Amino acid sequence: MFRDKRALALFLGPGLLGLLVFYLAPFAGGVYYSVTDGSFRNAFVGLDNYLKVWQNEMFQVGLRNTLELSLLCAPAIFVLSFVIAVLLRDLGNSTFFRNAMLLPYLMPSSAMILIWMLVFDYGGVFNRLMGLFGLPQQIWMDGALLRLPVILLYIWKNLGYSVVIFTSALQVIPQALYEYASLEGAGRLRQETAITLPLVSPTAFLIFVLAWVNAFKIFKEIYFIGGAYADLYTLQHFMNNHFARINYQYVTTAAYTFAAIVLAIFAVLYVTELRRRANV
Amino acid sequence: MIRSRKHPIAAIGLTLLCALLLLPIAFTFFYSFFPKTEMQAYLALRGRYDGSWLPILLSPKLFSLRQYYTILIEDTVYLRLFFNSLYYTVTILLGQAVFVPAMACGLSRFRFRGRELLFFTVLAMMLMPFQVTQVPNVITLRIMGLMNTSWAVVLPMWFTPFYIFLLRQFMIGIPSEMFEAGMVDGAGAIRGYFYVLLPVCRPVLGAALALSFADSWNMVEQPLVYLQNEATRPLSVMFNVLTDTRADIAFAGAALYILPTLILYFYFQEDILLGVQLSDLK
Repeated sequence: MFRDKRALALFLGPGLLGLLVFYLAPFAGGVYYSVTDGSFRNAFVGLDNYLKVWQNEMFQVGLRNTLELSLLCAPAIFVLSFVIAVLLRDLGNSTFFRNAMLLPYLMPSSAMILIWMLVFDYGGVFNRLMGLFGLPQQIWMDGALLRLPVILLYIWKNLGYSVVIFTSALQVIPQALYEYASLEGAGRLRQETAITLPLVSPTAFLIFVLAWVNAFKIFKEIYFIGGAYADLYTLQHFMNNHFARINYQYVTTAAYTFAAIVLAIFAVLYVTELRRRANV
Repeated sequence: MIRSRKHPIAAIGLTLLCALLLLPIAFTFFYSFFPKTEMQAYLALRGRYDGSWLPILLSPKLFSLRQYYTILIEDTVYLRLFFNSLYYTVTILLGQAVFVPAMACGLSRFRFRGRELLFFTVLAMMLMPFQVTQVPNVITLRIMGLMNTSWAVVLPMWFTPFYIFLLRQFMIGIPSEMFEAGMVDGAGAIRGYFYVLLPVCRPVLGAALALSFADSWNMVEQPLVYLQNEATRPLSVMFNVLTDTRADIAFAGAALYILPTLILYFYFQEDILLGVQLSDLK
């Protein structure tokens, strides 16, 4: 531990100043915009902006789509990465596989769109595969179905991250537990659900939260694929629209509303997790 | 303590999965060596709804560097955007190198009142969705008059909470003896920082460098709102605009766009694995 007070100021000061200037102070100060009307008088309007934004149809659509898309992506990534991590452990945690899976995480999604458009074209590989299973061709690049290529692109990019975290959490589970369960006659599936899952649950909780918060950024993938349709209009579209009009009243109000919703869901998840842990 | 069971199904499944994950990247590079005319004709076959299959293109008439020749020498639109991206990314990384490790050091190697509270604040900011943290950024950028300048894209990124968190997680686990051994002659915190802490942190710094590079190289939300002038926008937001009209060079453009992250990935892959594992809060 270093003790020098002046050195501490030197280390912490610049970073703290940056956080204050760009994040904390305007976050607190922005409350002012959300309760005034934005005219040159800047009259106090109480919660009027909140009511207006909540009733705004585009805000509702954006919020709903953002939550829906994230709640499709996060559980998918969660389940897939758990299964993959278990399989990886069986293979002795090959570094090659982990590296290969993490690689897409660093790739620019926009560069992948070209391939995606070929795969999900009406005559593309995806529809060919559907044909093999006797399913009809679909128009994936339009309307509500466009959600599938978008979600798959998102999963393609972000899956490896969760896999790596799960893998490292699995490594600390003592082998003896499985041997004991085996002697007691527990099958493979029972072992994974009764031993592995509860023992990685703190990590699992984190992975779910991270996957879920990150999935709010799915705007990126939507922007590249070029969907601003009703089924893919997200909160980020709404924000961008009102940033462009310099409508501080709306962007601050929308941001605080969203922050409150996210915090509420965090709280629910956290309490559920604590209860579950207490019961184990 | 790793259970080693032989599982052919796991091996086959994972191999298939990895192939699926890597194929889009491989095909992007593969297609970048197709002749321009052949590629353009192929991409024009998209969007037919008469039930005919899009052929799967596996062998070019000849391998050609024409696509690369065009984007690198003939037509510099792409290259200019590429250098915009490079400029923003390097500027962001330089700033982060100054502010982020220092702040992480303050949060882990010093003891002071309010340290846990400050760390918790950083954590809370890190978990906030981007739609929420972007608003304070924009308010400050407008007040400072930095909108539509390159600083708008760069400055807020210098203080990205995630990297402060990541480095702090690593630094807090370094045993104190390491510093005591290095500081027998009573060297101060600043010497300890440069001569002991930073060298010891090399793996996590590598991870942060690679992850942050990818973040900046791929950023979309910020330049889209902060930079109205298309000539100053980075490749990340302009790439699909460009390829909409230039199908013939699209794949070479994509391959070149991927290349820096790919090189960085192979150079730092061990560090990145470590860095990602560190983001597990425990």
